[in-house]
Amino acid sequence: MLRYTIRRLVGAIPTMFALIAITFFIMRIAPGGPFDGNRKVTEVVKANLERAYHLDDPLWLQFLRYLWGVLHFDFGPSFKYRDYTVSELIWQGFPVSFEVGMWAIAIATVVGVTLGTVAALRQHSMIDYSVMAVGMTGVAVPTFVVGPLMQIVFGVSLLMLPVGGWDGSLERKIMPIIALALPNIAYIASLARGSMIESLRTNHVRTARAKGIGGWRTVTRHALIGGLVPVVAYLGPATAGIVTGSIVIEKVFSIPGIGRYFVDAALNRDYTLVLGVVIFYGFLIIIANLIVDLCYALLDPKVRYD
Amino acid sequence: MSIRSRLLTVAAVLSIGAAYGVMLPMAAQAETILNRGFGASPHTLDPHVNFGAREAWIQDDLYEGLVATAADGKVIPGAAESWDISDDGRTITFHLRPDLKWSNGEPLVAQDFINGILRTLDAKTASEKGYYFYNVIQITNTKGYAEGTVTDPAQVGLKAPDDKTVVISLDNPAPHAFFVLNSFQTTPLHTPSFEKFGEKFVEAGNQVGNGAYVLKENVPQSHVLLEKNPNYWNAANVKIDKVRYVVTEDVNTELKRYQAGEIDTTNEIPSDQREALKAELGGEVRETISTETMYISFNITKPPFDDVRVRRALSMAIDREALQDKVLKAGYKANYSYAPAVDPTYDGPKIAEAGMSKEEREEKARALLAEAGFGPDNPLKVGLLSTTDETEKREASALAIMWKQVLGVQADLQNQEFQAWLDTFYAGNWDVFNDNLVGDFPGPETYLVYMKPSSEAGYNWKNDEYENLMNKAATVADPAERLKILAQAEKILLDDYLTAPIASATSRHLVKPYVKGWVDNVVESHPSRFMSIEQ
Repeated sequence: MLRYTIRRLVGAIPTMFALIAITFFIMRIAPGGPFDGNRKVTEVVKANLERAYHLDDPLWLQFLRYLWGVLHFDFGPSFKYRDYTVSELIWQGFPVSFEVGMWAIAIATVVGVTLGTVAALRQHSMIDYSVMAVGMTGVAVPTFVVGPLMQIVFGVSLLMLPVGGWDGSLERKIMPIIALALPNIAYIASLARGSMIESLRTNHVRTARAKGIGGWRTVTRHALIGGLVPVVAYLGPATAGIVTGSIVIEKVFSIPGIGRYFVDAALNRDYTLVLGVVIFYGFLIIIANLIVDLCYALLDPKVRYD
Repeated sequence: MSIRSRLLTVAAVLSIGAAYGVMLPMAAQAETILNRGFGASPHTLDPHVNFGAREAWIQDDLYEGLVATAADGKVIPGAAESWDISDDGRTITFHLRPDLKWSNGEPLVAQDFINGILRTLDAKTASEKGYYFYNVIQITNTKGYAEGTVTDPAQVGLKAPDDKTVVISLDNPAPHAFFVLNSFQTTPLHTPSFEKFGEKFVEAGNQVGNGAYVLKENVPQSHVLLEKNPNYWNAANVKIDKVRYVVTEDVNTELKRYQAGEIDTTNEIPSDQREALKAELGGEVRETISTETMYISFNITKPPFDDVRVRRALSMAIDREALQDKVLKAGYKANYSYAPAVDPTYDGPKIAEAGMSKEEREEKARALLAEAGFGPDNPLKVGLLSTTDETEKREASALAIMWKQVLGVQADLQNQEFQAWLDTFYAGNWDVFNDNLVGDFPGPETYLVYMKPSSEAGYNWKNDEYENLMNKAATVADPAERLKILAQAEKILLDDYLTAPIASATSRHLVKPYVKGWVDNVVESHPSRFMSIEQ
């Protein structure tokens, strides 16, 4: 497995390179630049601004200079947030996005798998239908509706929880985590239900039952392991996506994560910040996919890497 | 209960008691803290780089320029307690207050102010606001210094004959100069910390300023926390101990935070809730016109928009009041001149539509368009370009409907993301452009100067009479006389219908009733040092 892991990581390098190159050149195709927004700047001063950031060099030279920086873990200064480098912005924002995201995934997984399993065990009963109905609602109602609704109820009317902001306290974490977990609970529940239903019908589970192993143990030790495979497959990229910040949740609850950098940096033509978050996100996805594949090996004895 | 659980209970009670014991005295000497809603995260707190109007609030709390702006927006002495203007209006001598100090106790001298301006102009700083010193007012040799043709700072029109005097030499007299010599433009430079930390000298912990507050914390996308500066010359009169600028990206979330009491003032009010909030909160809703003016521009290089009759017709077909009151409801004020009504001493011209009734306007519009050769069998096709901003898109739709109803115009509405929109503007592929301009100071000149053919703002307008009048106005020292000439120039601009004015934007805030000292004003001056909290 170790050799497999190393092979995967080395194989990720050309992927990252392609990612950086494509993002770099696509950003430049979009019209306008980081210093174009101000119509009062004279041409000479605009040229000075661009020169200060090496934007007047030929494109291939800028690209090479950027790659050289990346190899030294220097992602450059942000063009829009002048007081910070891209590394500082990501370093400060990511732990927050990560915390909200990981809690949301953890809650979504535990609750989702439990609900899905219960629904699978009581297939076609009231419990099954109600779990699926709640699931459907959770997926259908968007976070930008659920979030503000929670803010109005718990923040403004009942004054139980703060409306937004982030200071590390529990009361500021509750609503965003739950709002982020809800659509995922729904999706994971339905994934888990489907695969558990299948798993409960397999030969080895039937054998376990026939041998007299009690209901709950059958479920957890025999059926669940196999039933988790699709959930794990979903969780890999989903985790990468969620921990890099949900832009909607972060905007609605005013959380200082990195979610909004993805969109706002592009609109601001903040080239370095866009590249920085894209590289970061790409790297996380690669790691997440690797972990997912390693988990397959743990869950399914038929899968072996060498 | 066992011994163990009894001991645990006693320990719990004691620690809770201790906590209260510590908290109570702390609560008794609570500091006043003002939580100000800030909107989106500040782009920079570097005073010589910052170009944002909201960031300027923080800058005004952290630093003080030669002049200052009062709570009501008027120019008042800042770090300079008085000044003299020469008879020709070209030399201003500022006399600094005695015993000025930096926040770390070091003495603050005249040369520090000059160094601040020079840093703003320096190409290495990559600041966008150097143009204040050579476009808005003309300090000698600042343009050359910014562009690199003048390398010796001694040749720039800024001198400090002694530690308490700053002398500014202008190429042209500028009665409006005092609006552009406040903390936004003339923050002094603390050379020792800049030399030590470079651009990081603005970070909390490194920051040394001369304003009423110092920077305590700056957490991106969360908040900026300021603390009272005991070395500020007027610290005795600063009532609020701490100011927290709270970042909230989403305008609806900001409103909810205000309603929940987490912030005491907001940066903005959601347009669609204005009416409801005014009914519910009354005096807490503060609206005033701002220095932003909104208008549509015509591409006079592209037929048929080179025909002034077409332009006039399109302008006349617009029902400006209905557009604001019935369609947009954002509180903007309909406008009939290019320069908005930000200066009460300016008696500016208006377009003819201002005095016409709806029927008159529409009839005249149809007549003009028919004269220009358009009618039901030859409908005028107009492309209207705006950004993706929601209010702008609604405005564009409303204009298209008005033009269709009155003139039978076939309008093609396009919207583009901001950068692309700007790019298209300079490329010239547009008919009519949904435009706006923010003035640099509350006077007509800042808007009219932008339209000078020589300023090459992208409108391709040539008019020697206008250019000459604007140049003449620039040499006049007497404010009243200057405004008269500007009014003449504006009349030429309006008569040519290069643009058709639409409205003046407003600035909108919610302010809790216990926050005192917040005065609505057109320059959006709301320094924390003039505010207090009355619980």
